[in-house]
Amino acid sequence: MPLDKPVVCKRIPTPPWGDPAKRKRITYSRYVNTGGYEVLNQIIADDTDPSELIDTVKSSELRGRGGAGFSAGLKWSFLPPPDGNPRYLAVNADESEPGTFKDRLIIEFDPHLMLEGIAITMIACQLDTTYIYIRGEYHSQAKDLEKAIKEAYANNIFGENSIIGDINGRKPNCYVHRGAGAYICGEETGMLESIEGKRGWPRIKPPFPAIQGLFQRPTVINNVETLAVVPFIIEKGVDWFKSMGCESKLSPNAPGSFGPKLYGVSGVVQRPGVYEEELGIKMSDLIEKYCGGMKKGKKYKAAIPGGVSMGFLDTEQYDAELDFDIGRRYNVLGLGTAGVIVIDQDTSIVSMTRNIVRFFSHESCGQCTPCREGSGWLYQMLCRIEAGDGRMNDIDLMDELAQSMGTMPGTTICGLADGTNWAVKTAIQKFRHEFEALCKPDKIQIGVKVGLAS
Amino acid sequence: MAWIVKDSANTQIDRRTEPYWTPKLAKKFEEDILPRYATKQAALLPCVHEVQHTYGWVPHQALEEVADFLDLSFAEVIDAVTFYEEFKLEPVGKYLIQICRSISCELCGYKELSKKVQNKLNILPGETTDDGKFTLLELECLGSCGTAPAALINETLHEDLTWKQLEHELNNLPD
Repeated sequence: MPLDKPVVCKRIPTPPWGDPAKRKRITYSRYVNTGGYEVLNQIIADDTDPSELIDTVKSSELRGRGGAGFSAGLKWSFLPPPDGNPRYLAVNADESEPGTFKDRLIIEFDPHLMLEGIAITMIACQLDTTYIYIRGEYHSQAKDLEKAIKEAYANNIFGENSIIGDINGRKPNCYVHRGAGAYICGEETGMLESIEGKRGWPRIKPPFPAIQGLFQRPTVINNVETLAVVPFIIEKGVDWFKSMGCESKLSPNAPGSFGPKLYGVSGVVQRPGVYEEELGIKMSDLIEKYCGGMKKGKKYKAAIPGGVSMGFLDTEQYDAELDFDIGRRYNVLGLGTAGVIVIDQDTSIVSMTRNIVRFFSHESCGQCTPCREGSGWLYQMLCRIEAGDGRMNDIDLMDELAQSMGTMPGTTICGLADGTNWAVKTAIQKFRHEFEALCKPDKIQIGVKVGLAS
Repeated sequence: MAWIVKDSANTQIDRRTEPYWTPKLAKKFEEDILPRYATKQAALLPCVHEVQHTYGWVPHQALEEVADFLDLSFAEVIDAVTFYEEFKLEPVGKYLIQICRSISCELCGYKELSKKVQNKLNILPGETTDDGKFTLLELECLGSCGTAPAALINETLHEDLTWKQLEHELNNLPD
């Protein structure tokens, strides 16, 4: 069932409910006039028990919107009990994966929605300080966010006279921390290192951030969109939230995909952009109903379901349902950030794979050898194939190389190399003929005749 | 990125008597930024952002001064700063043109755009024009996939770019 009313995009004009040209930043007063911060005030007025808030989010089965799809409530419940020392919230607004541009919408146009989510999370998990880690390339968005935070301070959401009161004996604070052009800082522990002023090298887990995160203290890390959904769950309840989306189609015990989701569609479609729908919508519906179909004269060939690390969906998988089961049902890594990239008939999958692998080879932090060296070699091999100089056995070699890197084969610290792995692996599995068409045979016949001349 | 070996032994360091990290900046950070973090080191990125924003690049001397300010060793500072691509350790042109080369921009034709800029300014990506006005870079994803192709000129993002628009933009930048 499609959404009848926008949820996260309640205040942001988004097709089919509004015209994107009319988007402008929702100021504090406009946010409050349209029912904003009511949930927060209600929680404070009722003096709601933090554990109750965690339980609500947990039973809503809200899954993280940043890529991994881990249950947000469960993540919150891993925190040790407060001991009076600082505890942190790190908001992941790094959003650097090609194809992903959904958090930007919230930061640019409705930052107070995220700030309300932050305030509620700070109460629920007893966190006293928040850092919003925003990518360095988002210059104007960082300024917009600073403005919104200033407004929130001026209206006592955070700061000295905060309506939240003291948490862990401290005043609640919220700061922006800007990154500086490193994709790996979107990995949760890489981000913590970056906030601490070091190079963004992911940490070996355990200890998990919930136990020892930022400055060695318990830290919750959530994506912008996840936090933006939290106020709605607290306001409207678990049943309302679970009326959207779908149960898992794999097994009745597997976690389902509930709630609204922002889908960012880019590539060869008529109207690319961010759209809001329930989880589980068919990709074909998203492209045809929301994006006005493919660009004129173009035909669908392939798509990437959620940022380039997820791998390719092939031509037959046009109707794939975009929910958290997509990985196992359609042989891709997962839903990721739901940043759908649509590729047309005239574009070479080899070139697309080359582009993706160049990205990962460029952004590899260099800590683990398989990722640092493997992605570089894959890039060189793909360039060679694209130039028409590849050999047939290069294809299998690439497949083997790709499948030996990542956290799933267990050769790297973080999941960056899994992205390379799945992009190359699925491209070869699903579009092998395109690679073969460009490769020369392993052994080339030369014109020598043996035996008697006829 | 992080693992590219630099020719450190032959690097000549330009110094000036006037500090880059002025007492005014130091005061501002002392009051506003340092209290935000549990350690002084955590203020490193904000400090270097400030230097880059003020001077257009990050001079070696400025990093030494920042290291002093944050009670860090210079090694710790250079270790972190070289990791981040956005920090330019060498001077760049007055206008830094950064064209996105990631997947959606490739699908929507960044290559043609970049070629035209290269021809117009007669530089390759990574180079600066002789008059020091323009530096061209191709970089990974700007988060404008829905409005591809996109380019950053200094800190301003231009989306849904056509060559006509970009050329107009370049022609109208003051010297």
